[in-house]
Amino acid sequence: MLDQEYWNPVLETLPREKLKILQFKKFKQILTWAYTRSKFHKALYDKAGLTPDDIRSFDDIKKIPKVEKSMMREIQNKDPFPYGDALCVPLEEVSVFRQTSGTTGQPVYQPDTWQDWEWWSECWSFILWAQGYRPSDRVFLPFGYNIFVAFWAGHYAAEKLGCEVVPGGVLDTQSRILKIRELKATAMMATPTYVLNMADVAKNKMGIDPATLSINKITCAGEPGAGIPSTKRRMEEAWGAKVFDHSGATEIGAWSYECRKQPCGMHVNEAMFLVEIEDLETGEIIEEPGRKGKMVITALDRVAQPCIRFDSKDIIEWDSESCSCGRSFRLIRGGVLGRADDITKVKGVLISPAAIEEVVRSIDGLGDEFEVVVDKQGDVDRIKLKVELLPEITQLSVENRLKDQLRLKTNLGYQIEYYDYGSLPRYEAKAKRFKDLRKKDTAQKEVRP
Amino acid sequence: MKTVLDLNQLNDNILKIKALLIELEASASSFPALSRNSKRALASVKMMELNLCDLVTLGLADHPLSSNP
Repeated sequence: MLDQEYWNPVLETLPREKLKILQFKKFKQILTWAYTRSKFHKALYDKAGLTPDDIRSFDDIKKIPKVEKSMMREIQNKDPFPYGDALCVPLEEVSVFRQTSGTTGQPVYQPDTWQDWEWWSECWSFILWAQGYRPSDRVFLPFGYNIFVAFWAGHYAAEKLGCEVVPGGVLDTQSRILKIRELKATAMMATPTYVLNMADVAKNKMGIDPATLSINKITCAGEPGAGIPSTKRRMEEAWGAKVFDHSGATEIGAWSYECRKQPCGMHVNEAMFLVEIEDLETGEIIEEPGRKGKMVITALDRVAQPCIRFDSKDIIEWDSESCSCGRSFRLIRGGVLGRADDITKVKGVLISPAAIEEVVRSIDGLGDEFEVVVDKQGDVDRIKLKVELLPEITQLSVENRLKDQLRLKTNLGYQIEYYDYGSLPRYEAKAKRFKDLRKKDTAQKEVRP
Repeated sequence: MKTVLDLNQLNDNILKIKALLIELEASASSFPALSRNSKRALASVKMMELNLCDLVTLGLADHPLSSNP
């Protein structure tokens, strides 16, 4: 059993035409469930003049109105308190509260029944098994166990797989590194930012080379980094471990994962989720590979507060290749490429923070941290890029390569500011490295190191 | 050696467990230790349904290792 490639050998290799039938049946089920149990969903679909019976084919699915995060925020704190009327089960059936981090505004509250929570860890079991987690693994979880979903389900899934789980909750970074060393932990889950931060602390504050520790695989989530080749390479080299990408969200669930073949992308768990990609300008559903769009996603089995055609704002594209692992679940190329909120035009050119990250972390003399600030100089857009020079590295030795690569990969010119190593802010979880000061959002202030 | 999976038999066994747990939960309503653990076990059984029973019910289950084409 342990050399079995798939967590579910039937679902993960199901021929695509059968997968589509399964998705359609499950979509109808969850739609009917929400329509008959939630005032919010009923009102939404009634307003569009639709009932579940009107959805007769796969193509009809796109008629169903999308749910925006702002809509979920509006119903918070109303009855039934604190979730509002998207709740589809009696309050006494809710066994777990979580909330979103509020990175893009007021947090959204997420209720889950115990069945939903089993479902969360089931989705994570697909991920961990595909990434080679087995009962012989000792898994260290260096995250704050709190109201954010973060790696909670990863914890429960690792237990389900039979791994030994070490919760590294309230420890500081140095204590966590010592605990990994003491226990000879073999696997870890963290955001890319924190994986690099831990390596930095181990190396530069503790004199420990993380590559000499026993971690052989790391699962990342929360940020796109593990799908950005230069960031992935930095993490893998620092820890001497395989780094795998995964994507999920509080309101959605754990919907995609990289497998052991590391195919430069992630499989969508299409047995549990229906992913549609919508053109950013026309709203048309994109079926063909290679065209970027915004993800609209349905969690097909989540019952307390269903996630039906949720506008996630994640930018993704289908891959034209199938994976050599044999899974029939489609790949999204390069993982989550960014967020629609973050992709903005500067001097008339679309700029993606992920593209800048790829360039900065591909330059060997630069540190892991950087910051991008977009503002206006008079009427003209200006992009400031702040980077750190590693000790004993001169500006002269990196600047031409950095400028050339930025021009090549992003088609834009930058005002580059160089800082001493350790000057820019460090983050423990999700980093905020992109600041657009042209927006009226007063929360976005430039931080001077 | 690869094991041949009898998906219909696996499905039948899952549904039997489910039926027993539903009965246990209902009949032990004055025995919280049994009824609440039954309810929790039913959530696990639901995961087995998602993994297999839905496919069998829809006639979609087949696999190279399966004895049921």
